[in-house]
Formats: sequence, structure tokens, C-alpha cells
Amino acid sequence: MLWPALVMLVAFFLLPTLDIVRSSVFDPDLTGRHFERVFTRAIYLDVFWRTIRVSLIVAAVCAVVAYPVAYYIVQRPRRRQFLFLFLVFVPLWMSVLIRSYAWMVVLGREGLVNAALMGLGLTDAPVKMLFTTGAVYVAMVQILLPIQIVTCYSAMSEIDLDLMRAARVLGAGPWQAVRRVFLPLSLDGTITGAIIVFMLSMGFFITPALVGGRRDLMLANLIELQVNQLNWGFAAAIALVLMAGTVACVAAIKWLSRRLVRALSGGGAP
Amino acid sequence: MRKGMGKLSRFLPAAYFWLVILYLLFPIVIVLPISFSNNPFLRFPPSNFGVLWYETYFSDPVWVAATVLSFKVALTASLLATVIGTMAVLVLERRQVPLKAAVTYFITSPIIIPHIFIALGVFILAVRLGLEDNALTLAGAHATIAIPFVVLIVGAAHRQLDPTFERAARVLGAGPVRAFFSAAFPSLLPGIAAAAVFAFFVSFDELIIAEFLMGEQETLPMRIWADLRLELRPTIAAVSSLLITITTLGMALSEILRRRGANLNDD
Amino acid sequence: MLSKRQFLSAALGAVILAGTANGPGRADDKTMTISGSGGAVAEIAQKVYLGPMQEETGITVKRVGTEAKRMAQLEAMVRSGKVLWDAMEVSASDYPIGVKKGLFEPIDYSIVDPDHKLPDSARKKYGVGAAAFSLVLAVRTDKLPAGKQMTSWADFWDVKAFPGPRALRNRPQDNLEFALLADGVAPGDLYKVLATPAGIDRAFNKLDQIKPHITAWWKAGSQAVQLLSDGEVFYSTSYNGRITKLAASGVPTEIVWNGGALHLSLVGIPKGAGHVDLAHQYIRYRAMNPARMREYIKLLPYPGFAPGLYDGLDPQVARTLPTYPDNLNAQFAANEEYWADHIDAIQERWDEWLLR
Repeated sequence: MLWPALVMLVAFFLLPTLDIVRSSVFDPDLTGRHFERVFTRAIYLDVFWRTIRVSLIVAAVCAVVAYPVAYYIVQRPRRRQFLFLFLVFVPLWMSVLIRSYAWMVVLGREGLVNAALMGLGLTDAPVKMLFTTGAVYVAMVQILLPIQIVTCYSAMSEIDLDLMRAARVLGAGPWQAVRRVFLPLSLDGTITGAIIVFMLSMGFFITPALVGGRRDLMLANLIELQVNQLNWGFAAAIALVLMAGTVACVAAIKWLSRRLVRALSGGGAP
Repeated sequence: MRKGMGKLSRFLPAAYFWLVILYLLFPIVIVLPISFSNNPFLRFPPSNFGVLWYETYFSDPVWVAATVLSFKVALTASLLATVIGTMAVLVLERRQVPLKAAVTYFITSPIIIPHIFIALGVFILAVRLGLEDNALTLAGAHATIAIPFVVLIVGAAHRQLDPTFERAARVLGAGPVRAFFSAAFPSLLPGIAAAAVFAFFVSFDELIIAEFLMGEQETLPMRIWADLRLELRPTIAAVSSLLITITTLGMALSEILRRRGANLNDD
Repeated sequence: MLSKRQFLSAALGAVILAGTANGPGRADDKTMTISGSGGAVAEIAQKVYLGPMQEETGITVKRVGTEAKRMAQLEAMVRSGKVLWDAMEVSASDYPIGVKKGLFEPIDYSIVDPDHKLPDSARKKYGVGAAAFSLVLAVRTDKLPAGKQMTSWADFWDVKAFPGPRALRNRPQDNLEFALLADGVAPGDLYKVLATPAGIDRAFNKLDQIKPHITAWWKAGSQAVQLLSDGEVFYSTSYNGRITKLAASGVPTEIVWNGGALHLSLVGIPKGAGHVDLAHQYIRYRAMNPARMREYIKLLPYPGFAPGLYDGLDPQVARTLPTYPDNLNAQFAANEEYWADHIDAIQERWDEWLLR
């Protein structure tokens, strides 16, 4: 039953992209110049690290913010759970375009936050919030938080809450029960969500371009520029570097989370 | 003292929850009023209230057709991705699969490759096979980029599954399929439903692949982004508000009907 | 709530419906396909050009909506030998890329413009000029210091005389030219200066001066309008048509034509197109019909060079157009070929410069 997924992936993903990926080293003859350019011009590696940093921060913030939300939802009665999940999904109906406009209204020079700050006399001149890296985080987290909450929730909803009660009966304190039983079990969903958010962030470019400052360049922006010039070989080379970085980070996150689970459920006071 | 603590420990999580929901929903506070202004540009605070942009939306067959097309494609893609992705999870989580880690990375890789490459590649294949400007081709491509999300979300839910029930069902004589649907499936359902909804939005929001594969017919994101050529008009605020209002009303209605049904049953 | 079965049947219905939406039928000899902007632009093109043309000539034109990735699609079709379009809009900056990659059919001017009425700038080998547009300096007049007028790029650079937040487009094209104009280079010498490494250095050095005062580096044309409209910036580059509309909507904004960058969108024919003859007829209709073009300008202020266009045009409207003689003379013609040849190196430098 794995084959339908594999067929879809081969037909709509592997076969179609093979040619483009190949053009990163055969353009038209075997060449290393595309990768050489990625690694020798400072801009590409610079933006590569920047992209990884932004994505890691967004994933971490989403994970921390979403965890209590998912926990809160899981503890409600089933009906209420669906209602709350519906609320979490509502923002997805809004185009990213209109959402970034909303941030302009709120964070802008003459925006709501500045109006409030100046009205309260907290500042004399408008504070610059829009077109900063901070605005990028605020906007990206708002876009990606629903997927993190939902992933976290769907893993938590399988956890047998009786296990916690059992731990309490066996003499564990409430915090200990959460830490030794619930946390390790629920970490899997949190990490999966964080990995999804991280992978999606790595490919972001529209939101940072609309609400970020001049330094908020993502690697996907650079790929886009090369595609517009029809430089497919070089665009593919950058994309492969982006993919390699993503896979390496995901592997590292998984490894760290396994150690964390072991430490949580094993170590500490008896 | 203890009583106060108890109240606080109940109040704080709820306050936090609603704070996050507020943050998620806040653009509506901006978008909804703007959609009811008659200004030709997005402007906040809105002046000149009216329903001009709703009229524009409903009187323009292209906008409505784009919305319908997007719904069709997203529903199809979501259905395909959810079924295929869940099946893949059942194999990956339950069987000994050779090179399991590699297969999992392969299945999730459409998330990390820029969509433009998938778009171009599928377009070339579709043109060769005469399948371009075909909503089904687009739904297939969208399903493929949504499968990774289904595999990851349902996979995470599956790993928390208690296998005892299903084993019990098997012991009691149920076949593997029946045992799965009666014992495991109900508890997997929240995860599967969440994955299906998310897969829907992966397709509903997707722009680049749609640009390549669709020609005469436009999807909603294509329509929205095409207007960037001119100016950001409040039509997109009207569209977003409409979608939210309709789904919220639908949700409320089903909740009311359910409550009424429950009351009738109680009598 | 829907029952599971209802949901499944609804979803299956969606699958079946999606399946019935087939691709376009193969074209006959009176039907052609053109590729151009979608959305509202497509509706205007349909109303002004495609509908009337069908009535007059019997040629049915199907319009395929494509945006930024049009050239990638074109290249894919030309390479695979199955070209679905017969004619297409070609943006100013895409033209040299397509020419270099051999993606266009040459234009037969004995059909399109036999009497040589179009200016040479609009008679390119692989494309005919259809719509001129300008990247200009736009000014919020209500935010200007009392009694002052901004009239040049030198003024834009003068942050003492004209304080306030500013915006530029986030790309090197046009901005390097604007910097050199602010630095005193004559419009006619721009590309001579930019052809030398020292000239590029000079432009970047001049940009260094203004960089701290640029609040936003916009990416999409609608963003610039929004920035001006929200008062986020007082002075910004923008496309002329958008500013005309913004001013008409009541935001006090003005175009400074002096030093604007004039670009020209073209219509061309994809290499290997199935209906080259029909495509030529369409291009002739699109580029040479002044009455239609006047209608088009009313909706989108991006004029071409149809002979006699300005006769019978409301002078009020004429003055807002980038090819109006006074405006034309104040601007420089952007050199798209220069940028196609140099963008690779300059873009990297531009991005590095922005990160610093």
C-alpha cells in the first residue's frame, strides 16, 4: 500500500524534476561551475546561513507557543476540540497577500501600534517595526502556527490520559507525571510539527520580501531571481544546497529530540 | 489559597489559549472592515462604507469560476493525498520496510524542493502528453505536494496509537482490515482529519504550479496575484471575508443542528 | 455535520467534476491562443482588443493567463517542440533573454507595419512595441516641506532639503541609472558610464548615500502604491499608471517625469507557433489601431505607438501618459539589452550591498 504514494511521487515529482536537477552539473557538459559559484560568492552562503537561522527560530517559536495551545485543546471535550481546531484553521482562508497588508496596517509608521504608543505618550516619534526582521518573525509565525498546533494536537490526542492518572496514583506529583509520562509521549508530535514548520520556512520568500527589511533575504529569493533569468542550472544548484541544508538540519533536530526524550523519561529524581 | 490557585491554574491556560487565537485571527479585524469600504485601494481605517467589492466579486464570473475551480482542485487533491498518505503511513509504521529512513525522506522531499521546479517539470510532461490546462493534472500535482504533510501528521499520530485494541480485535476474530477500521481508525481520525484539512489548504493556496498547469481557467490564487499587476484592490479582502464568514456560518449551523438532534434524542 | 458517506460522495463528485474539465480543443485556422497577464488586465484586453477583433476579422483569440513565469513556460514549450501559444506579451526585461535563447519568431513588418509608421524603438526584430510604461519618482505632495517641489533625482537624494522616509524598488535595474542621474551624469551618457566597472562603482557609491534613508525596498508594484497611500513613505519610485490611479482616488500624489525610466512591453511570437499568420494579424491589430488603443488607455494608462494615437485623445489624459512628448523628453529610455548582459554580476553585488 506504499506504492500509490511512490507512484504519485515518481510521476509528479521525481521524473519531472530530474532534468532540472541534472542541469546543475550537466549544463550541457559535466561542469562544477554552478556549485563553485554558490560556494565562492559570499552572498549565497551568507543568505544560506541567514535562511537556516530564521527557519530555526521560527520553528522553535512555533513549537514553544503551540505546545500549551495543543495541550489546552486536547483536554477539552471532543466537540469543543473540533470547534477550537476550526478556529485555528480560520486564518488559512486569508491570502498571504492580505495578511501581510494587515501587518502593514498594524506595524506601520502610522499604524495601530504606533498610534497607541504615541497616544499613551510612550514615544514621541513612530517606532520602526515594519520592514524589520522582527516583523518577518511575527508574520511567519502567524502563518505557520496553525500547522504546528494541529500536528502537535493530533499526536497528543492519541496519548492515553489514563497513563498520567496512573502515574499520579503511583505517587508521582502532577509536574512529575507530566514530565515523565506526557512530555516524552507528546514530544514526537511537537518535533514533527517543528520539522514541518522548519522545512516550510526554508522555502519562504514572499512574506519576508513584503514585510522584511533589506537584509531579510532568503535563499528562495535568490533561486527566484535565477529562474527569472532562465538560469536553470544555477538555480538548481542553489536549490540543491538548500535541500542539503534542510535535510542536515532535520536529521540534527531528530537526533537531538531522541536524546531529549531519553533524558526526560530516564534521568532526574526517581 | 488553594482555591485561588485552582482558579488561577484554570484561568491562565484559557487566557493563554485565547491570546494565541487572537493573534492568529487578528488580520480579520483589519480585513473585514476593509472589505466593506468602497475605496479603490486597500486603506485602513476604511471610509466610504458599502458593498462595492462584494458586488465586484459576484458580478464577475471569472472571480466566481476561480473560486469554484480552487475548491474542486483542493477537495480532489486533499482526498487523494489523505488516502494515499495514510496508506503509506500504515506501511511505514507497521511493516519492515527496507531503507525506511530513505523512503521517508523521499516521500517528504516535495516540501523542500522549490515549487517552481515541480511546476516546470510537470508542465513539460503535461505538454508532451497533452494534459495541460487540465484540472485533474493540477489536482494530482497538488496531491503530491500535500502527501508529505499527511505522512508526517498521521505518522506522528500513529506512533502514539495504543496497539492493544487492534490486537484484541484480531484475537476476537476480526480480519486485519476490520480490526483496523473498528479499533485503530477511530483514534487516528483526528490526525487524519487535520491532515486532510491541511492538505486542502496546501492546494487552495498554491500559486506557482497552478500558473504553469492552468491556462484559460484560473484558480483563486492566480486571480488574486494577477491583480497585483494593477493594484491591491479590496476584492481580495472581500474574498477572504466571504470564505471565513461562510465556513464559520457552516460550522455554527452544523453545531446548532447537532445540538438540536442531541436534544431530540434525549426526549 | 456531513455523514462520512455524504462527505465521500461529495469528494468523489469533485473528482469526477474535475475530470470533465478538459484541456482546450485543438485550434482550427481561425482560432489562436495568446499568453498574457491574467486577472483584470485580461478582462480589459478581452473587452478592448479580442472581442472587437473577433467581430471585425472573425479570428477567435483564446487568452491564457500567465504572470511572472511566462518565459519559463515558453522555454519549456520551445524545448519540447509543442508550442501552445501563437502570440504572447513580452515584458521589457524578458525580451533580450528570449532573444538570446532563441525563443521568438522574427516579425514580418510587411504585414504588421508596411508603411513604416512605428518608431524604430518599437520595431524590434522579434517583437513589436505595444505598451510603454515608466518607473518614475512619485511624491506625496502633502508631505513636502512647505513651498518646495521635488523635481529631480538630485532632490530625492537631498535628505536635508527633503526629509522623510523613502522607498526604492529592490533590484539594481533603473536604480543604478537613477543614482548616476543624481550624481550629474547626462541621460544620454548613462549606459556609456555603466559599461565601465568604474561607472558601476560610481552608481553604488551614490546609492551608499541614500541607503540609510530608504525605509522600504519594495518588491511588487502594488506595494509602492500602498506605501505611499499609507504614508509609510513620502517619496518612492513607482509605475506611472498606478500613481495616476492613486492620485485619482484622492491621495495627493504627483509624478516627477524628469529622470523617469521609460520601458516598452512588446508582443511577440513564440518560436514554432502554430499560427504565425494569425499572430501577425493580431499584433497588427494590437499595435497599429489607434481607436482601440485610446480605449485601452482609458482603462490602463500604458500607451503604444499606434499612428495618430494622440489625435482625438483628451489632453487631460494625454498629459498623464509616458509617451506624451513633454514626458517622453524628460525621461531616458531604459536599455534592456545592457541589463540582460550584466544582470548576473550586478545582481550579486546588489544583494551583497543590501546585506551590508
